[in-house]
Amino acid sequence: MATLTFPISRIEGHARVEIEVRNGEVLSTRFQAMEKRGFSLMVKGVPAEQMPVIVPRICGVCSTAHHVASVKALEDAFGVQPPPLAGTIRELLLLGQLIQNQATSLFVFTMPDRLGVESIFHISEQEADKGVQFNIARRALMVRQLGTDLITLAGGQFIHPVKAVVGGVSSGVDSGKAAAFQQRLKAALPTACELVDTYWDISMRMKERIGTWGDDQPAHYITSTRPELPNFDTDSIRVMDPAGDCCREFTASQFYDTLTFEETDYSYAGRTSYEGSVMRANSLARANMVRRMGTKLADGFLKRLREDFGHPAHPILLFDLCRGIELVYAVERAVELLAAPLDEADTDVPYTPRDGEGWGLVEAPRGPLIHHYVIENGNIVVGEFIIPTVHNMLAIERALRVAAERYITADSVNLELERAVGRVVRAFDPCIACATH
Amino acid sequence: MQSSSVLKKNKDLPQFAVLQLSGCAGCEVSLLNANEWIEEFELVFMPLVVSAYEVPCVDVLLVSGGVRSDEDLYNLKRAVRCSKKIVAVGTCAISGGVANLGNRDEVRELFMSQNERRDLPRLLPKSRPVDDFIEVDLYLPGCPPTPELFMAALFDDKEFKASRTVCQECGRKKLKDMKPKHLTGFQTGEVDPDICLINQGYLCVGSSTRGGCRALCTRPGHPCVGCRGPSDMLIEKDSTAWLESIQRVFAALTDIPADEIREGLLSPQLALFLFQFSDYAGTERPPRPKEKVL
Repeated sequence: MATLTFPISRIEGHARVEIEVRNGEVLSTRFQAMEKRGFSLMVKGVPAEQMPVIVPRICGVCSTAHHVASVKALEDAFGVQPPPLAGTIRELLLLGQLIQNQATSLFVFTMPDRLGVESIFHISEQEADKGVQFNIARRALMVRQLGTDLITLAGGQFIHPVKAVVGGVSSGVDSGKAAAFQQRLKAALPTACELVDTYWDISMRMKERIGTWGDDQPAHYITSTRPELPNFDTDSIRVMDPAGDCCREFTASQFYDTLTFEETDYSYAGRTSYEGSVMRANSLARANMVRRMGTKLADGFLKRLREDFGHPAHPILLFDLCRGIELVYAVERAVELLAAPLDEADTDVPYTPRDGEGWGLVEAPRGPLIHHYVIENGNIVVGEFIIPTVHNMLAIERALRVAAERYITADSVNLELERAVGRVVRAFDPCIACATH
Repeated sequence: MQSSSVLKKNKDLPQFAVLQLSGCAGCEVSLLNANEWIEEFELVFMPLVVSAYEVPCVDVLLVSGGVRSDEDLYNLKRAVRCSKKIVAVGTCAISGGVANLGNRDEVRELFMSQNERRDLPRLLPKSRPVDDFIEVDLYLPGCPPTPELFMAALFDDKEFKASRTVCQECGRKKLKDMKPKHLTGFQTGEVDPDICLINQGYLCVGSSTRGGCRALCTRPGHPCVGCRGPSDMLIEKDSTAWLESIQRVFAALTDIPADEIREGLLSPQLALFLFQFSDYAGTERPPRPKEKVL
């Protein structure tokens, strides 16, 4: 028996793929999370009200989602309902995160696979490609920075935001700053669309070269966005079956009754399944489980996806295209939200801390994120983090097996396998820091 | 589109690498918000954005994250062998940051009781700062450092001088006649946009925290938690000096009892960042010289 090992770069965190092979037969494909920070353990004894500043440090990529989920878990425990303006500012925060994350995944993580380079910052050997690549790199970083700057505008600090507080947000958004930022977003929208178009085109070319969009079987899908329009500040989770029927809706507190969560002995990350079936979370799940995006240009891209690939769509490389749709959506939606005054109403309501249990749910860029706290004497005694990436673990390993079987025979291993392994993992955009927290 | 830059040969540029140990990647995400380096440096190793598996010899090595596993230690020691300049970036690499919550004995026992995983890096008994193992040329504290700070470190900008404290960058008005009697807590209430957070009863440590962050947290209304560590005034002293310095500020601006301030200052949220004081961390390490801290 031989074991092939592939360290994975251009994802968040430290991970590795291990494929066991005997005489050309693929025995197993494992996706291993290689690090552990142990936040569930580290937060024991921490004053509950300090969690919204501590837990963003689980992950510098997904920090905003953790910040908001944490505040929502405490509000659930304390029985607080924040005012509408706080909801809008939190939605802006989550949109900033979506812009930053989808732009990073599209252009920094997966674009190099399509251009055949080591990184978006490395100059191609092909003279003709240089201009294209640099043009993409500069504009991609500009669009990505819009996300960071939106997080700063709505959340204060730019990586680990601070403005969401129990009962609301600590301040509104100054109208002059909001108007100026709205102009920047409007000005950047055509660039974002061009980049997504370019990405779509070079993805088509890659498909021609490798001959597939990913030939893994259909799967169940999971998201917490709403069925009519995407809203990332949510309160229930849905699972859809491969045929496209919604088979289950449940709240965060019903998580353990509805899904199976298990640990493995070969990875620091756990994994989930729904009634024994493989699930997929992240952009493709949301695109399959929403009627429309609700913004003009994003709806145009969604229509194109559905015309080309049907509904629900299953090939895994479509995850990447769906990130493009969401990037455009997030810019458009933020423009809408910044049009209304964000500094004229109450930003928070008073509350009294109390002991008890709380569940907080948001749709992070990678799927539903749950924080679950039990509070005694004002301190955390249970701090659980149910991470979107764990919903994709079985799906990643199944897709890796399909790729391995495509490129491994009794006689040889096709060198395309290494690239295929990278493409498969990056399609799911796993976050290892979060998954192992 | 600047064609000249596109044609500039990579090999003429100084090279830098980013080694990420156990951390959140927030430092790396911050670095990606700067683009001044793109035409001036070649990024040869940074797994988040480059497919490369060995750290080559580089002009500048940035190290983020704490030393938490045997693999972290191995990667750190291997990476520094031939790097010309080593920069410890972010609070985790410098003083442990949030990972210090896991260094409490009761939590270490929980870690030890976890199941072992086969073929995976093993956790060390504690998270450690990188200078427990290697010589560091420059410290760049912050959770995370801003893109401007990253550029000042990378370009070795001698002109760059961070503000002395966060307080100086914040610009909120300090009032002599608005004296709260108790702490407000971190998560409570609407914040007046112009008045010092201490006057409003928030446990803000911006008066003793190193500047350079543009007061990103305090300006929109969240008290400074001290992620950039002690200011130059305090960095070579012990944590008693820090406690006293903050207490003096609170005595001048509030009527909050000193015991209440002290208890708040030793809470876990602030403790994340205060291990920069050697005595607080319970070690014998000499203080980091202020000349080496950006």
